[in-house]
Amino acid sequence: MSTLTAVRGGAPVETPEPSEPTPRRRRWVPYALLLPGLVWLAVFFLAPMATLFSTSLQVGSIDEGYRPAFRIANYTEALSAFSEQFFRSFGYAAMATVLALLVSYPLAYAIAFKAGRWKNVLLVLVIAPFFTSFLVRTLAWTAILGDQGLLLGQLKDIGLVSPDFRLLARPFAVVLGLTYNFLPFMTLPLYASLERIDRRLLEAADDLYSSAFTTFRKVTFPLSLPGVVAGTLLTFIPAAGDYINQRLLGTPRQSMIGTVIDSQFLRVLDYPSAAALSFTLMVSIVVLVWFYVRRAGTEELV
Amino acid sequence: MTASHDARIPAALSRAGLSRRRFLRGVGYGGVALTGGSLLAACGTDPAKPRPEEQVAPDRSQQEKVVNFSNWPLYIDVAGKNEGKRPTLDAFTKQTGIEVNYTEDVNDNDEFFGKVRPQLQAGQPTGRDLFVVTDWMAARMIRLGFVQQLDKANMPNAGNLRAALESPPFDPDRSFTMPWQSGFAGLAYNAKVTGEVSSVEELLTRPDLKGKVTMLTEMRDTMGLTLLDMGKDPSDFTADDYAAAIDRVQKAVDSGQIRTFTGNEYAQDLAKGNIGACVAWSGDVIQLQFEDKNIKFVTPDAGVMLWSDNMMVPNKAAHKANAETLMNYYYDPAVAAELAAWVNYICPVDGAQEEMQEIDPELADNPLIFPDQATLDATHVFKDLSAEEERNYTQAFQRVIGA
Amino acid sequence: MNVAGVPGAGAALRLDGLTKRFGDFLAVDDLHLDIPEGSFFALLGPSGCGKTTTLRMVAGLEEPTSGRIILGDEDVTDRRPYKRPVNTVFQSYALFPHLDIQENVAFGLRRRGQKDIPRQVQETLDLVQLAGYERRRPSQLSGGQQQRVALARALINHPRVLLLDEPLGALDLKLRRQMQLELKRIQLEVGLTFVHVTHDQEEAMTMADTIAVMNAGRVEQLGDPASLYEFPATVFVANFLGQSNLVHARVTGRSGDTLLLDVAGQRLAMPADRSRATAESVLVGVRPEKIYLALAGTRGSGNARSATGDNELSGVVTDASFTGTSTQYLVRTPRGQELVVFAQNTSADRRSATPGDNVVLHWDPAHTFAFDGSGKAEAEEATAEESAAVPRVGVGG
Repeated sequence: MSTLTAVRGGAPVETPEPSEPTPRRRRWVPYALLLPGLVWLAVFFLAPMATLFSTSLQVGSIDEGYRPAFRIANYTEALSAFSEQFFRSFGYAAMATVLALLVSYPLAYAIAFKAGRWKNVLLVLVIAPFFTSFLVRTLAWTAILGDQGLLLGQLKDIGLVSPDFRLLARPFAVVLGLTYNFLPFMTLPLYASLERIDRRLLEAADDLYSSAFTTFRKVTFPLSLPGVVAGTLLTFIPAAGDYINQRLLGTPRQSMIGTVIDSQFLRVLDYPSAAALSFTLMVSIVVLVWFYVRRAGTEELV
Repeated sequence: MTASHDARIPAALSRAGLSRRRFLRGVGYGGVALTGGSLLAACGTDPAKPRPEEQVAPDRSQQEKVVNFSNWPLYIDVAGKNEGKRPTLDAFTKQTGIEVNYTEDVNDNDEFFGKVRPQLQAGQPTGRDLFVVTDWMAARMIRLGFVQQLDKANMPNAGNLRAALESPPFDPDRSFTMPWQSGFAGLAYNAKVTGEVSSVEELLTRPDLKGKVTMLTEMRDTMGLTLLDMGKDPSDFTADDYAAAIDRVQKAVDSGQIRTFTGNEYAQDLAKGNIGACVAWSGDVIQLQFEDKNIKFVTPDAGVMLWSDNMMVPNKAAHKANAETLMNYYYDPAVAAELAAWVNYICPVDGAQEEMQEIDPELADNPLIFPDQATLDATHVFKDLSAEEERNYTQAFQRVIGA
Repeated sequence: MNVAGVPGAGAALRLDGLTKRFGDFLAVDDLHLDIPEGSFFALLGPSGCGKTTTLRMVAGLEEPTSGRIILGDEDVTDRRPYKRPVNTVFQSYALFPHLDIQENVAFGLRRRGQKDIPRQVQETLDLVQLAGYERRRPSQLSGGQQQRVALARALINHPRVLLLDEPLGALDLKLRRQMQLELKRIQLEVGLTFVHVTHDQEEAMTMADTIAVMNAGRVEQLGDPASLYEFPATVFVANFLGQSNLVHARVTGRSGDTLLLDVAGQRLAMPADRSRATAESVLVGVRPEKIYLALAGTRGSGNARSATGDNELSGVVTDASFTGTSTQYLVRTPRGQELVVFAQNTSADRRSATPGDNVVLHWDPAHTFAFDGSGKAEAEEATAEESAAVPRVGVGG
């Protein structure tokens, strides 16, 4: 309440050139408003982050307990043991992100520019998969891609593919599952940024000798870049940490880093190694994102 | 990972078309829910075992006629389609006046351990008076001192426990645990897809099964059967034996023979013919057979694994006596038969077979539900692992299954 | 200097029966216009009158329902916008936010694969006085600067017709005045045909050679600013273009070139050729600044034509407001008509009328105009609210 009082008690808007004393009283207000957010961050982000980091350097076992040891080797051991899964995760996530972008862009474009009164219906359809559980959605793909499933069953019946052919349990299925599951995360930001484009800019381009394709290339696409950046991040980050898709659609040979972290934490009960892997995953994602955003150079558009 | 935070996943799966009866033991996914949160809480844990005398909460059983019971999804009889109506539990309440808060929140042994460990380690109540976990997890919890000794005086029916289950290595005189249900881990195949599969060797090497084989993520079942197939005794093997067995499975993974490792979801794939043969649990197969006679359960000549899911009372449980009354109730042969008729696993209660004759004679004669003593004698139980063994063996197994 | 490179590269624009319907709404109704090469032509009207739709049809951004658009001697009606030698300065400027000023201005040239782009951009930015801003982004410029970039971006393409859609609408008054002169200067310098859409009558009059006043999809009157102002053809024009006092009158006779009128018992005269009326009942108009105001008693009775030959009406001042260059009076006649008078503050005599004073209004009959009087109340309503420069005042009748 004191915050409000202070604001109201401040200089009236009409006062020309507010002189020194009044702003000083207000200066703390922005920080006071930040406080709940900062407390939240401290309690639910920084503190867990600190314990995660500290855990990653401990030694011990579930029976003996864990004690701080500043053991950097936790990192080197975990990374050398699971580097394959790390790279695979980023590889699959990158593929899924590119695929999701290729699928989403035309979709978002159509919804933003061509859907007319169907716009809201289509948006609901984009979000609709979220109404069911992530797992159920993923399991649905096992029915579709199954060796005798909706897709292959038909093709095998008419002899188009050999009876032993399968889509499941291959990298293809995992990447497809990732793509599918995170598609709305790509589509919605793309839609939002396309929707926000001032149609008069497109008219201006049209007026300035741009064909429809050139207008897209030179105006629409550059202006949608914030959505592309947001969408790719929102897809890539969770996809890199995901393991449900690998577990349900893939095989051990498609194992991703999320699978490893889950197993180290819950099954092997090697908390330090799980923490080290989590921490490394997080830091590598932050670094990747940082370079990506800098390169994309969309700051002034966001 | 947002979307995967679904604590009631198997229930969701059953809604998605899986037969509920088939879905007895979900293994594998629930862990996600915890990886994020509890990992953070996992730091700097106290090495000291909780001291038993500090772990007993005042028993409020007399004042509060309730018991909080955590079990696996679809592991109890329900009336028709109404999942909230459970005849045996309702009868229990009628008989004793004790209300049962029945929660299906054990989806996975490891996940459940992750869920209750922080409280148990800190000596705080978990809000549960009774829960059910598999042998090896029961062993770990006893080892860590997380559970209370049972008062057999409250459980006159405990004597009905089948002899074959009376003294598992982790709890030789059943002072901490009572089996809820037991089962075999053996092999299963779909006769529409492949010919008979009779050994793990065939599973791991037969060319016509390439890419159509799954094994269980449950280490004791998968590795136990593999060790048996190699002529080793799962209750008494060396680290070298284990390494050789791991090696064998790894080869099958590398060659693409093994498609993946699963929890219950293999049942679906087996029924659909996506896989031809697999390591399987007996109860699942019985239920698949209701719909498709082509699904066969195989007891390999080398032997099958026997496991139990055990009821235990955690530290600081507030209604221990009520929990014991409930366990006692389920050891009444008539009640046990009613339960077994629904879940189709091995009934651990003597006398239930006779009761079953009245409910469903066909099930009463099913050796997978009421195995004779000779069959039980031929089963094997996985060795009780030390903490270090458990860690090493789990680590090695997790590497094979891709984690 | 001539940016177009080719002096007089503009082309005449002819609209032939141009019509646009949006569903049931007739936005532009059978419009015929001839806009000569090199002229500064204004389409003036209130919002919704169809002027912007007309402009967009010329640009190709709207498809006409019927009619033709002829540019020079080419029919461009069916050409896609990017194939028309026409460029637009948009109301919102529509500058590309992701491109700097250099690239915004060069946009059209690049699309046509032109050479020597930096030089042309430089010259055009010089023309609009924005040299040195090449690397800025549109968002870093003020409204006036953005407007000039928009102008440069269109001009650099040497369109045969430059279309300006309320280009100054977003600017404040002072900047708007300055830009009006600037635009006019540039138009004279490059010699292109400018078609300028605006709702601001002052802007139109300042800049345009020819103004078409539009209302409800039709052209009400076409002409140069002075003749539109001095001799409006319709009630709408009389009120939209500046302010008018309009009173109902009856034609009582004619004497030579002079028409005799009766306004509620008071007699007026006007030159016969300044009446477009055909019937006996007419609306008589006179601009507020043409009327002189004298305190009663300092002049004649006020009930007949004075000795000077001016028209006279007597009344009582009901309101006087000082606006700087002039004072605006409201005067009520005995019959309840309210007239507006702008009196220049030129007199050394500080004594002026105050509310309650009896006054006599007089003006030169040559400043009187008349048209058919069927319009009555419409005269009040039609006055566009946006006719921004001067506040609207009620009209007698």
